[in-house]
Amino acid sequence: MATRKKVLLKVIILGDSSVGKTSLMNQYVNKKFTNQYKATIGADFLTKEVMVDDRIVTMQIWDTAGQERFQSLGVAFYRGADCCVLVFDVTSPGSFKSLDGWRDEFLIQASPSDPDHFPFVVLGNKVDLDNRAVSTKRAQQWCQSKNGLPYFETSAKEAVNVEQAFKTIARNALAQESDVELYNEFPDQIKLDGGSSDNRSSGGDNCAC
Amino acid sequence: MSFSSQIFRSPEYTSFRCNVPLKQIILDDTGANKGWRVYDTGPRSVETPLVFLHAVSGRAEVFFKQLLTLSSKGYRVISAENPPYWSVTEWCEGFMQLLDHMDIKQVHLFGASLGGFLAQKFVEFSTIVHQPRVVSLFLCNSFTDTSIFKYKDAAVLFWILPAMVLRKMVLSNLSSRETFYDTQIMDSIDFIVELIESLSQADLASRLTMNCLNSRVNTSLMRGLKSVTLMDVFDDYALGSPIKEKIYQEYPDAKLAQLKSGGNFPYLSRSDEVNLHLQIHLRKYDGTPFSASDNIPITE
Repeated sequence: MATRKKVLLKVIILGDSSVGKTSLMNQYVNKKFTNQYKATIGADFLTKEVMVDDRIVTMQIWDTAGQERFQSLGVAFYRGADCCVLVFDVTSPGSFKSLDGWRDEFLIQASPSDPDHFPFVVLGNKVDLDNRAVSTKRAQQWCQSKNGLPYFETSAKEAVNVEQAFKTIARNALAQESDVELYNEFPDQIKLDGGSSDNRSSGGDNCAC
Repeated sequence: MSFSSQIFRSPEYTSFRCNVPLKQIILDDTGANKGWRVYDTGPRSVETPLVFLHAVSGRAEVFFKQLLTLSSKGYRVISAENPPYWSVTEWCEGFMQLLDHMDIKQVHLFGASLGGFLAQKFVEFSTIVHQPRVVSLFLCNSFTDTSIFKYKDAAVLFWILPAMVLRKMVLSNLSSRETFYDTQIMDSIDFIVELIESLSQADLASRLTMNCLNSRVNTSLMRGLKSVTLMDVFDDYALGSPIKEKIYQEYPDAKLAQLKSGGNFPYLSRSDEVNLHLQIHLRKYDGTPFSASDNIPITE
């Protein structure tokens, strides 16, 4: 039997500088947290293999620079994104107000085929801190106004809700990826028996000469 | 010879050929050796350049998109195409001579398929001769063991086969153009097919011999190597999934620069993504003695 095609999911994290984008990614992939702040330059990514509904998928999580002067790597990292994670800091109202801008930025740069239904997930990070300035209600209202985006309150430092948030991210990304395949103008060839597909793709093993 | 593929006719390729001189570097004076073909771009003051090594089906030109983009960003990038060498050891000795000739003490290596295999063997070779030279490896659709190819028993006879047969062997390894519906991948295949047409019998036979003679990489003999990035694609390409898993196992700490698609030649079909991954790979060396660029690192 032919095995199911392996899937690579591309996830992009956006948000103002120092809201905790790198920390969230590190907590999720490496289970590590550091209080030391180091600005991300350009973009970087980490990879993690996860199970989503019985499917093994590879998540490639892109962390981008929040500060504009470090965004020097062009737009190639937006290409083929399956999910966009918008992050703000619950102690910083400014970072919450920026979410609109980041969402627009993503839609312009990545130009997904169906922008109204592209999966975004919103994370309010740093809930471990006392000086909270953005209420849950306010954040939820904003998410509602954007077609009901999933919202999680997280702490990268104490690993609160990080796993759950990324689980939703992975699931929504996978749904997006499958959608893209459905809408593909040229679907995969229909193969009548499982064996012949192998003959086709691995020319190196059975050349006719 | 007239070329007709999209890439050959593109303004980008024309600009590359007009602005970057091709150097022929002949290392021995026997006359039999026609020499290395080398493009050297970016600031000459950089002492640790990134050197690109092509696959069996490739020439120095296949990396023109990387050379154009990365040199414009301050990186010294070199594409090197070898003259016929009939064994991996011969190739390693030849490449060492080339680096000496160009006065390059240390390098970052990008290797595509066979080029990636040779790059790994060169890390080993330079370790064994006590001149570790490779700072980092970026391997694209590559492998660690030639036994994956079915021709190993016939490999000793490749030198005697006519060019036409060899060309057909090389082309049969490329998934046929029709299995892709992506114009950039189709263009990359057309470009490669035209380049293969211009290779001599000795080029083809020697490359296939190195590709298929039994040999494997020993990662325990890699002194001085600081980082590895492994790039592969999730769509169809000549090497299959078990080979990917094998190379992941050999380099458990490597960064995995996986692409959703791109076919056999992502450096042509997905050049902006490949260039992005290359910058991420090299950026950590900016401002260190191993930097491939003359950029001053951005700091806070």
